[in-house]
Amino acid sequence: MLTVKDVVKSFNTGDNTIKPVNGVSFSVEQGTFAAILGKSGSGKSTLLSLLGALDKATSGDVVVDDVNISRLPDRKLTAYRRDDIGFVFQAYNLIPNLSAQENVMLPMEFAGVPHATRSARAAELLNQVGLTEEMHARKANRLSGGMQQRVAIARALANSPKLILADEPTGNLDEETGELIIELLRRLAHEKKTTILVVTHDRALAAQTDRRFRLARGRLTED
Amino acid sequence: MGVVSRSVGNAFRNKVRSGAVVVILAVAIGLALAMLVANQAVGAKVDSLKSSVGNTITVNPAGSRGGLGGGNPLTAQQLEQAQAVAHVTSATGVLTVRLGNTDTTGSSAAGTGTGGAEGGAAQPGRGGPGFGTSGTTSLVSAVAPGSIGQRNNSNGSTGTAPNASAPPSFSIPIQATGVATSATAAGSAINITGGAGLNDFAAASTQALVGSTLAEKNSLKVGSTFTVQDRTMTVKGLFDAGDAFENNGIYLPLAATQSLMDQAGQLSSFSVQVDSIDNVTTTQTALTTALGADKVDVTAGSTNLESAISSLGTVQNISLIAFIASLGTAGLIVLLIMIMVVRERRREIGVLKAIGASNRTIGVQFVLEAMVLVVLGTVVGAVVATFASSPIANALVSGNTSSGTTAAGPAGGPGGLGGGGGFSRTRGAFAGAEQLIGTISTSIGWQTLVLGGIGVLAIAAIGALIPALLTAKVRPIEVLRGE
Ligand SMILES: Nc1ncnc2c1ncn2[C@@H]1O[C@H](COP(=O)(O)OP(=O)(O)OP(=O)(O)O)[C@@H](O)[C@H]1O
Ligand SMILES: [Mg+2]
Repeated sequence: MLTVKDVVKSFNTGDNTIKPVNGVSFSVEQGTFAAILGKSGSGKSTLLSLLGALDKATSGDVVVDDVNISRLPDRKLTAYRRDDIGFVFQAYNLIPNLSAQENVMLPMEFAGVPHATRSARAAELLNQVGLTEEMHARKANRLSGGMQQRVAIARALANSPKLILADEPTGNLDEETGELIIELLRRLAHEKKTTILVVTHDRALAAQTDRRFRLARGRLTED
Repeated sequence: MGVVSRSVGNAFRNKVRSGAVVVILAVAIGLALAMLVANQAVGAKVDSLKSSVGNTITVNPAGSRGGLGGGNPLTAQQLEQAQAVAHVTSATGVLTVRLGNTDTTGSSAAGTGTGGAEGGAAQPGRGGPGFGTSGTTSLVSAVAPGSIGQRNNSNGSTGTAPNASAPPSFSIPIQATGVATSATAAGSAINITGGAGLNDFAAASTQALVGSTLAEKNSLKVGSTFTVQDRTMTVKGLFDAGDAFENNGIYLPLAATQSLMDQAGQLSSFSVQVDSIDNVTTTQTALTTALGADKVDVTAGSTNLESAISSLGTVQNISLIAFIASLGTAGLIVLLIMIMVVRERRREIGVLKAIGASNRTIGVQFVLEAMVLVVLGTVVGAVVATFASSPIANALVSGNTSSGTTAAGPAGGPGGLGGGGGFSRTRGAFAGAEQLIGTISTSIGWQTLVLGGIGVLAIAAIGALIPALLTAKVRPIEVLRGE
């Protein structure tokens, strides 16, 4: 259960203050597959970063399973990000000098999973997102954009989080691979009861989701 | 892929830069270690110089050195005055006399032999008659007169005056030094090679120590007897002073010498020990004031030594400053490179935090990365230091000591005359401080290791602290921002 109450995020740019997120409230049940739509620059990534505890909201509350993460101390936030959240960044943000598999292993290393276990799980996840074995050992900066995107998705799934926040997860994928990813996320939501929020411009993806929200002028409305 | 291999990998992500950093770090650390080694080596040299002859002052009667010059002998009362001067730890007086062989001594001139124990440059033709002797002995000199002896034995006021006496009719006198303790006139211990040292210092004592060559010449062993004036002396021990002049002498108890020579209460020189080399100059002045400049000549053998030590002190300071400066440079390099590394990897640090890495995990990763550079720099630096230390130490020393004119004493060493003895102390004045210092040998002592270790640890601490502090400040949201 994810509940967002009256969240505001403002940035000071020189003289004026901008509020890409200005009084957003919504609530989704555990296991919901939801999409957030909106124009470029409407504040979708900003909202996602607040939900993922990457940044603190200027005001308002983000409550995840009755825990208000807006009030958690930094140490607890680290654990929250590590154990409860899987974040797929718009710009992938892989560690460039590590291999695909090593990138996927990182969150598990931080969670203290033994090396053999995390290596096996990383390989399995990479296979699930359609990355063949020969790509597993390739350095992240030698992978194509779409491959990097899939490694980023595999990394987000590594610690089996209960909330996955994916910023344009199919933005760089061909139709077929995009379908694979959408199917994977949908199964996760419905079979593993993982709450999934995707930011997307992809109509195919949006059509597959349970709920669709639209962010405009700082406000969130459900379609 | 653990944090360690990730750190090592990251240390060489930019190979060219990391290589350059290691090289610069190695030069700085190597220089620091070399300076430390030089500093310690010079320090050791200073200590050894100080402990050798550094704090001895010699007091002679005014206008007299050995058998040359004039003036009145020193007295036991003056010795007490000398002992009372501040910073004087001990003052011992000796009476040095020259003994002629009973069979060959014809005339006995009035010159009272005296002076330091060691032989020195003879001063031919200076002063009065050559071999004045004040007593007789049954011993035969082990030193042949040679041409220096011939010249010294001449009666004229110049060394070239015609000498009437036939060469075979004289022999070199034997120097007898009356000592109150078992020490030489210079204050150092007598090097006993057989028998034992003197222990009966009474006026009626018959103990004597005989120099090695003299004992050989006269077939003396421990327990053998010979005469001085009318007393039969027993050989208590044999000594080796390391040179032919000294070894042609004997040591007698001071009181016995004074009574045998009818010179009760008279002393020919004092050897004064000062508590620290730093006080030698002031004590020298104080002694002159206490005893009267018209009565005594006070000489410190340490004018050169002082300049040697002060120039070495400069080197010590320079090397210490250079050590600290190099270490500071190394620390600065580590500091700057880590600031740079953290800055350019802000986004990556943000990623790690966003996917759940704790500040500690990231801190450890960057600290290890810094340690890889520091350790490599130290290893290469230590190799640099190994080869650079010795040349650096000697270059520093030779660059900082005024090269005095090095006057060589006459070849053949001590003159045949006891009087020459007094000059050995001043001979040093002609030699430069440089000669005194010699070469600095570098070695790695535990102090060097400890200090070097502390220095490297300090750099490592900077390498640990900076990334730990800087990475902790990076917020996970930085992941969404480019550079
Ligand atoms: N740190 C910041 N400081 C100032 N302004 C910011 C900051 N972060 C985001 N913004 C602004 O907030 C607005 C929303 O940005 P955001 O990245 O959330 O848009 P978005 O909806 O994700 O767009 P896109 O679909 O192109 O990714 C933009 O106008 C952006 O310039
Ligand atoms: Mg965005």
